[in-house]
Amino acid sequence: MLLSIDTSHGTSAAVFADECLSFVAIDDLFTHAESIGLAIEQALQQADVSVEQLTAVAVGRGPAPYTGLRVGMAAATSLSKARSLPLYGVITLDAIANSISDKDLLVVTDAKRKELFAATYKAGNRLLGPMLITAEELTNYPGFELIQQPCNAKLIGQYVKKALQLGVDLSDLSALYLRSPDVTPSPGKKVSG
Amino acid sequence: MDLRILSQSDLSAIMQIETALFGSEAWSEETMSSELITPHSYYIGVFDPSLVGYAGLRLAPADFAADVLTIGVAASKQGKGIGRRLMDALLLHAKRQGAEQVFLEVKESNASAISLYKSLGFEQIDLRKRYYQPSGENAVVMKLVIQQPIVLGIESSCDETGVGIVRGNRLLANALHSSMTEHAKYGGVVPEVAARAHLEALSPTLGQALLDAGIKIEQVDAIAVANGPGLAGALMVGIGAAKGLAVATNKPIYAVNHLVGHIGADVLEKGSVELPTIALLVSGGHTSLLLVRDLLDDVVLLGETIDDAAGEAFDKVARLLGLPYPGGPQIDKQAATGDPKAIKFPRGLMLPKDLAEHKYNFSFSGLKTAVARYVEKAELEGTEISKADVAASFREAVIDVLLTKAIWACEEYKIPRLLLGGGVVANARLRDEAQRRCDAAGIELRIPRFSLCTDNGAMIAALGAQLVMAGRKPSGLGFGAESTLSVTTIQTP
Repeated sequence: MLLSIDTSHGTSAAVFADECLSFVAIDDLFTHAESIGLAIEQALQQADVSVEQLTAVAVGRGPAPYTGLRVGMAAATSLSKARSLPLYGVITLDAIANSISDKDLLVVTDAKRKELFAATYKAGNRLLGPMLITAEELTNYPGFELIQQPCNAKLIGQYVKKALQLGVDLSDLSALYLRSPDVTPSPGKKVSG
Repeated sequence: MDLRILSQSDLSAIMQIETALFGSEAWSEETMSSELITPHSYYIGVFDPSLVGYAGLRLAPADFAADVLTIGVAASKQGKGIGRRLMDALLLHAKRQGAEQVFLEVKESNASAISLYKSLGFEQIDLRKRYYQPSGENAVVMKLVIQQPIVLGIESSCDETGVGIVRGNRLLANALHSSMTEHAKYGGVVPEVAARAHLEALSPTLGQALLDAGIKIEQVDAIAVANGPGLAGALMVGIGAAKGLAVATNKPIYAVNHLVGHIGADVLEKGSVELPTIALLVSGGHTSLLLVRDLLDDVVLLGETIDDAAGEAFDKVARLLGLPYPGGPQIDKQAATGDPKAIKFPRGLMLPKDLAEHKYNFSFSGLKTAVARYVEKAELEGTEISKADVAASFREAVIDVLLTKAIWACEEYKIPRLLLGGGVVANARLRDEAQRRCDAAGIELRIPRFSLCTDNGAMIAALGAQLVMAGRKPSGLGFGAESTLSVTTIQTP
């Protein structure tokens, strides 16, 4: 019984047995902290699964704008640790590509500041990325079908089911920001003269 | 029948029952009178409509214990459940005040009382021969064990990832990870850097806390988390983690105020926090002066900084002097050999014209600018400055304003008690000067140990435990981060 969590876009949680048993999504992009507990709780309730029945947890680790992403990752980390469950980290672009097709894909999500998070896929395998590109750079990948859609917990869960069968390593649990913290040391300013 | 706390005005009614019941073994009126006002004592009575029964308890907070000192029900009113009602009220009070064990003595011949105590969970632990005088009767010593709630608290409002665990008012663990060194190259806390560090530190800090406390997560009775005030992105990591834990363990969650947590930390030192108190919280993010009459219901913000926090001023002045971050310890080191009176730096919001509106507010921006001007002027003129004198004079200006206003508050509100909290309390000069001025003004000064003064998870757990012990309803799962949360919102519903 797998619980999947994603806050790379909105806030969502899903429960999987062999199939997806429940999927709860709260699409608001500014209420991750408010929504995360409710989303997980409702996903468990709708699936009629108790938290004790879970056997694994999966979480989207971006790339995504930071503040919301961390909420889902923090919840998945503490929940899996508290229940001593394995936690799988998923690159959200991989989960999106997996949900589309095995064709050649350029998967992008909104990175804010007129940039995009992107990765290319061939026959289900990631070729390039994840990386940051501008809208103008979208034309640099001819032959790849452009897929622009957000990720969610259902896509994460579906991907994990398949990836585990294929033996994909999902042990990296670091958040993918693809940008340095937005700061430069101040040189200090004069106050006199 | 009403039950209420007894006061001196009830003394004669108490003594009537006391002497009728206990005869030559009765307490004297003087003893009873002083018992009523002894610190940590709790005397209650049942009225129908006049006093028909009374009982008294004394807490020993440092031992997490309480003693039932007396209980008496008028002979004509016995057998009506009044004794049980009094005992229930005493035990509820003991539980809420953090007692882990309650002791009492009872005459061996008093079978009905012994049976009542046994039904409440007391067990005999000793028999004292000829304890009661002059009758020479034996005393049965009994003990009740109270299971206090285990609460895990998460703190992530700034640059410290804290996970603390308490049982009632007892500290079990206080694990901490600081991202301070990562902020050093920026000269101050960078919110995004802090938030990233929280996520990375979360799992190891949680693991460390459980290890230190020697408990399993299933043993935790409630989760507490600071949901403000603080850096929104940083707070959200702690909130996400806390909600994950609450769902994982099916345990209630309490969203608590970070600043009130600083005050609550003192219960972990002495088993209780003496109230009312004035509290001065000084850190890199806050400079707040509070009037605390009740930790859970009555915290008033008297004043706060209108620009920089005191700790921020230390960091900024350290940079002006070419000293590394964090500035507090650096300024302290320099100031050790400096003259605090060498340079007359301004005292913010201390002029008579400021006091009408800003009696208890602080401002350190002007002070920082004054130091900058002083340093730049020396540079322009090509003269050497004494870093030691600048540091000492600056530090003195900050401390002077902080303590002057804190002591004004103690005097205005007639509260001879001052509690310090926040990271700036690490400053030895602040502590020494606070002690000197409090001694001179007859004010009791409380400073928790440093690990409970800086941001930490234990203080959040302690405040959460206070809420649990008081029987407060948990927060819903839908609360968010409140970066400017008012100190009057002690718990977010």
